[in-house]
Amino acid sequence: MAGQSDPHLSIFTPAEVEFLAEDELVEIVPNIRMDALNMICGDFGPFFPQISTKVPIWLAVALKKRGKCSVRPPEWMSVERLTHVLEAERESPREFQPLPFHYIELSKLLFEKAHDDIPDIYMVRSLIEDIRDVRFHKVEMGLEKISGRTHAVKLKNLSAMEVNIVRPFMVRALQAFYKHGSPEMIPQPELTVSRTQVLDRGPRRDLRPR
Amino acid sequence: MGIYYDIDDILLEEEPISVLFQTGASGVGLLDPGSETNSVERSAKVTLPFWLANELFLRRAVSINVPACFSSETRKEIQADAACVDLKFRSPYFYELGCKILPLVTDKSIGPFLQYAFTSRYTEILSKSHNITGANPKFSSKLTKEESHLFEAARSSMISFKKWRVGGSRLEKASILGRKRKPTTPTESSTL
Repeated sequence: MAGQSDPHLSIFTPAEVEFLAEDELVEIVPNIRMDALNMICGDFGPFFPQISTKVPIWLAVALKKRGKCSVRPPEWMSVERLTHVLEAERESPREFQPLPFHYIELSKLLFEKAHDDIPDIYMVRSLIEDIRDVRFHKVEMGLEKISGRTHAVKLKNLSAMEVNIVRPFMVRALQAFYKHGSPEMIPQPELTVSRTQVLDRGPRRDLRPR
Repeated sequence: MGIYYDIDDILLEEEPISVLFQTGASGVGLLDPGSETNSVERSAKVTLPFWLANELFLRRAVSINVPACFSSETRKEIQADAACVDLKFRSPYFYELGCKILPLVTDKSIGPFLQYAFTSRYTEILSKSHNITGANPKFSSKLTKEESHLFEAARSSMISFKKWRVGGSRLEKASILGRKRKPTTPTESSTL
């Protein structure tokens, strides 16, 4: 599925990524009695006061707006866990720590719509900002290493929003490097330089029709 | 040979290329502003757009000189400090032209040169594009078409992310609503 806003670039706007993130489940504690809701995406409820249940974020936000529930912050959204993640991010310059795929969008939604349900909200907010900065710096470091010999980039544990930010740049950069490094553009090294390098470059040439 | 729907590809083929006629050609005097008769002499040096030079080259009527933007002077500048060279001034289609002209000229070092130029300018684009939020005419005016596409791709995605993070109204006004209505003049309405 391509983004709706700009069919030419086929990327999502941040708002579209946020929309996708709204399907993630969170735990809420309702303060009303309500029958189960039967939606296309699934059945949620029935709701009883003080008994927690899992609903998608869009439903949680709608209920919260009307004062019908309180949101239970997700497990990872605690100062303790996030401090741990931040430390680990700083210690390993090449790897990304596992976080929810939509952690940026989730945290923004919850900070805006359910700020009174999150303990230590200032601390949590700044921790998430720091984590995001550290991770993005790592992404940039990785992008710097792209060269003509890069065929693919491994981005394990990267979140939706982070991927979405670098996607247009990365795709174009890889295309450009591929174009400039293609055998039609650089014929000489294979002809003149020693045999080992020819063997080294061999597999890539086989992919192209002669 | 070009990509039919790509405007950049069409514009790129308009780039002037200096060629050397291998045969005399009569009736095409308008190609050579210096000629007195209505013909082009053998071994006359004429500047033609790329699309024409390419076709004539395939018919072996001309030989193509390496364009000025791939001269040894530019190469030295690129080697000195690639990021500071104003490549857009040399040719806005520097890389694309290089790729197209490579099979037509004997100087095959253009390929590696292009790769070197792009690789060394790439890091500069990368570091600038994700950190600049406002427009930076001084830097982006030096980029060729291909580079500025890359630069803009990164910059616009970063800007839209920052805009989203700050928040604000989720509903946007359609651009047409902001426009003022044209005042209908009374003379026009009276004639109707």
